Amino acid sequence: MIVYLLKRLAVLLASVAAAGVAVFAFMAVLPGDPAEIALGVNATPEAVAELRARFGTDRPPAAQFLDWFGGLAHGDFGTSYVTSSPIGPQIAERLGVTTVLVLGGMVVALIVAVPAGTFAAVHHRDPLGAAISAVSQVGIAIPAFLAGILLVFVFAVKAQALPSGGYVPIADDPAEWLRSLLLPWLSLGLVQGAVLTRYVRSAVLDVMREDYLRTARAKGRGRMGALWRHGLRNASIPVVTVLGLQLATLLIGAVVVERVFVIPGLGDLLLNGVAGRDLLLVQGVVMVLVAAVLLINFVVDVCYAVLDPRLRGAR
Amino acid sequence: MSGRRLNLGLVTGGALVGVVVAAALVSFVWTPHDPTLVDAAGKLREPGGGYLLGADKFGRDTLSQLMVGARTTLYVGVVAVGIAAVVGTPLGVAAGMAPRSRGWLSELIMRVNDLVFAFPALLLAVMLGAVYGAGTLTAMIAIGVATVPAFARVARAATMQVMVTDYVLAARAAGRRGPAIAVRHVLPNIGSVLIVQASVSFAIAILAEAALSFLGFGTRPPTPSWGRMLQESQELLFSTPRLALWPGLAIALAVLGFNLLGDGLRDHLDPKLRSARG
Amino acid sequence: MLTVEGLSVRAEDLELVREVSFGIGPGERVGLIGESGSGKSLTALALMGLLPDGVTASGTARLGDRDLVGVPERRLKDLRGRTVSMVFQEPMTALNPLMRVGAQVAEVMTLHGVAKGRARERAAELLGRVRLPDPERIARSYPHQLSGGQRQRVMLAIALANEPDLLICDEPTTALDVTVQKQMLELIAEVAPALLFITHDLAVVASLCERVLVMYGGRVVESGPLREVFKHPRHRYTEGLLAASRLPPRGTRLATIPGAVPAAGRFPGGCVFRDRCAHATETCETAPDLTGPEEPTGPEEPTGPAELTGPEPRGDGHAFACWHPRG
Repeated sequence: MIVYLLKRLAVLLASVAAAGVAVFAFMAVLPGDPAEIALGVNATPEAVAELRARFGTDRPPAAQFLDWFGGLAHGDFGTSYVTSSPIGPQIAERLGVTTVLVLGGMVVALIVAVPAGTFAAVHHRDPLGAAISAVSQVGIAIPAFLAGILLVFVFAVKAQALPSGGYVPIADDPAEWLRSLLLPWLSLGLVQGAVLTRYVRSAVLDVMREDYLRTARAKGRGRMGALWRHGLRNASIPVVTVLGLQLATLLIGAVVVERVFVIPGLGDLLLNGVAGRDLLLVQGVVMVLVAAVLLINFVVDVCYAVLDPRLRGAR
Repeated sequence: MSGRRLNLGLVTGGALVGVVVAAALVSFVWTPHDPTLVDAAGKLREPGGGYLLGADKFGRDTLSQLMVGARTTLYVGVVAVGIAAVVGTPLGVAAGMAPRSRGWLSELIMRVNDLVFAFPALLLAVMLGAVYGAGTLTAMIAIGVATVPAFARVARAATMQVMVTDYVLAARAAGRRGPAIAVRHVLPNIGSVLIVQASVSFAIAILAEAALSFLGFGTRPPTPSWGRMLQESQELLFSTPRLALWPGLAIALAVLGFNLLGDGLRDHLDPKLRSARG
Repeated sequence: MLTVEGLSVRAEDLELVREVSFGIGPGERVGLIGESGSGKSLTALALMGLLPDGVTASGTARLGDRDLVGVPERRLKDLRGRTVSMVFQEPMTALNPLMRVGAQVAEVMTLHGVAKGRARERAAELLGRVRLPDPERIARSYPHQLSGGQRQRVMLAIALANEPDLLICDEPTTALDVTVQKQMLELIAEVAPALLFITHDLAVVASLCERVLVMYGGRVVESGPLREVFKHPRHRYTEGLLAASRLPPRGTRLATIPGAVPAAGRFPGGCVFRDRCAHATETCETAPDLTGPEEPTGPEEPTGPAELTGPEPRGDGHAFACWHPRG
C-alpha cells in the first residue's frame, strides 16, 4: 500500500512537472516577446531591452522556466506584465470561489445520481426505471451553461425566487451567499448528476449480477439488504473513477458557468486574462487547473486503494 | 444477420443526427433568409410571416441561423473527431501491439496520453486563443487534440483484445510483420469500436464547440453558431426567452442524437459488448 | 423431510424444469446428475428461492412443515442460511471481495439472531471445522488471499454455520483441482446434514450419495438407490451416461451419447431424450411417466400426500421414465 502510494505520488509530481513544461513552452516561448508586446511596435530597442531585463525574459528559456516553476511551489506565480500586480494572490482568492462552486456541484450530482441510479438499476425491468434512464440520457445532452440559462429562466425570470447572477461573499451575508450559489450549483450538478446516474445504474446492475450477492441472499438477506450490505461498496469502485473524471469536467464546466452567473472564480480570471492579453496570468490559471485535474486523478487512485483490499497488497 | 432488430435508441439517434445533417446540407443551397442579414426594422420580430421562429435583436432570422449553425457544428465536429481519430488510432494500435520487449513504447504513449488528458478542450482552446486569437480553427484543433486520448485508449484496449485472438497468433506464427497485421487484422476488427467512439466523441465535440462559442472562443461572428446564439440571447432572457430556447434545443437534440447513435451502434455492431449502460 | 412435488420452472414461455418430484429423508445424501442444461441448477435455485429475475417456479416443495415454493420472499429469507443452505459452483466469485472472510461467515449467524461477538468467535471455530489451517488468520484475510479450495471451504463454513437441516451443493468441486476436490468431497460427506448434491460427475455421486436422481431436459428420467441405478440403469439416457463415463478398454472407442443437449426449450415433445435415443419409436412421442417396475401405475415419489408432516415415507424403489427400458 505504502509503496503503491509513493509510486503514484511520484507519477503525480512527474505529471505536474511535465504539464508545467508544456504550459510554459506553449504560453511563454511561442507567443514572442512580452516586452515588445507590452511596449508596442514603436518602442526603442533600449526600452525593450530594459523591460526584458525587468521581466527576466532576457535569460534562456530553461532558466525562466525553473524560475517560474520553482516559484509555483511556494505560491509565487510571478508579476503580471500587463497590470504589474502579483498573480498568486489573485489566483488564491479566485480558487476558493471555484472550489466551493465545484464541490457544491458534485454534492448536487451525488444527491441526484446515487438514489436515482440505484433505483433505476433495481427497477431496470419496470417503466419507471426505464424512464429514469431516458431522463438521464436527455440530461447528458444539456451542457451546464444551457442548464444555467434554463434555471435562470425558471427561478429568476418566472418565479423571481433567486438571483440571476452575481456573487455575494460568505463573509458579507451567508444567506445571500447561499442564494447566489444555488443556481450555479444546480446547473453544474444536475447535468453531471445525469451522467453519473447512468454510471451508478450500470455499476449497481453489474454488482447485482455478482455471485456474492446471491451468496448474501443464500445467507438470508433480502434483495435490498444484500445490495446495501454487499453491493454498494463494490459498486462504488467504478463510480469513483467516473467521479474523478467528473470533478475534472466540473472544474472546466465551472469556467463557463461562472461566465453565465457572473461569479468571480478562476474561470472568470482566466477569461479576463485572455481578454487583457495577460499571458502570464493565463499561464498561471491554466497551470492551476491542469494541476487540479492531475491531483484529482491521484486522489481517485488513492480512493481505489482504500476501497479495494485487492489493490493494497498488490503493486 | 437479418434477425438483428434495430433498437429504438439507434433509430431515434439516427433520425436526430439525420435532421441536423439535412439542415446543414440544405443551408448550403437554401435558407429562409440570409442568416447574417442585419435588419433594424425586423428587430426581435415575433415568429410568423416567413420568419417561422422569429428574429433576434439584429433582425436576423432564427431558423436560418439555426440551419447554418448546424453546418458550423458539424464542421467543427467532423474536423475535431477526424484529428482525434487520425492521431489517436495509430497511437493506440501501436501501444496495443507493442510486444512485451518494447513495453516502454506502450508505457510512453499511454503516459503522454494521460498528460494530454489533463488538458481539457476548453483550456487548450483558451490557450490557443490567447496566443493566436480565437476562431473556428483554434476551437477545432483544441477539441481534436483533447479527444485524442479517448481514441488512443479505446484503440489500445480493442487492439490488445485482437492481438490474443487465434487468427492474429496464426498470422504472427506465419511470420507476418506488425504493419501487415495492423492493416489486415487489427484495423478491420477494431473498426466498429472506433465508429462507436467517433459517435460519442462527436457528441462531446458539439458540447465543447457550443461552450467555446458561448465564451467567445469558437466561431467568430458573423458566422452563426449555436453556442454564440445562446450567449447573445442571455441578456434578453427576461424579455425574449425564445431566443435561448431554439439554439438550446438544437444543441441538446444534436448531442442526444449522437449519444443515442453511439449507444445504438455499440449494441448493433457488437452484441457481445451489449452492456447494462443504456 | 424435503418433499418436492410437481416442481416446474419457467422463464416466460419456456418450461425449463418440468414436474420434478422427489424426497430427501433426514441425513440422506441424494445426488442429482445430468449434463449441463438439464435443469439441475435451476431445480436447486428454485428450492432456495433464488431463481434469477423473470424465472418462476411452481409446484410444491416442503422442508419439514415449511413451504419453499410460492412463498413470499420475506418468509423464505428466514429459512435461507438457517434451515437450508447452499454452496455454489464458482468459489472465486461467491465471496464479497471487499469484506474479510471472518465477517462473511459471522454475517450468516448475526442475520439469524446470533449476537455479534458470539458469531465472530464461532466463525473462527467453523473455519477450523472445515479444516482451514490457522482459522484465526483466515478469518482476518480477504477472499483474494485464499485459494479456490480454501474459498470453497469458507462457503461450506457459511453454509453450515446455523446447522441447517438440508445442504444443497451445486457442483461445489467442479472448479477445483482434482486433489482438492477429493478433500472437499470427504469434508462434505463428513459434515453434511441431509444433502442434495448436484453434479455431472458420476464418480463423485458414486462416492458420496445413497440415492440418485438423473435429470435430462428439465425432467427426472430415472431415480433410485445409487447401486441399483448405476448397476442396472433402465432409462436409455442413464445407460448412455454411464457408458460414457466408464473408462473404455484399451483399443476400443470412447462411448458417447450421440448428438448434443438441445438448447433450453428445444427439447422434443414426448420423451425428451427421443431425438438422441437409438431405441426411440413412435410410442416415445408420448411422454412416459416416472414409474417403478413394482408399481407400474402410480407416481413413485413422494408417496405421501403433501400435507403429511412427520417422517415422510421414502420410496426406495427404482423408477424411470422410458418406454423401452434396458434389461
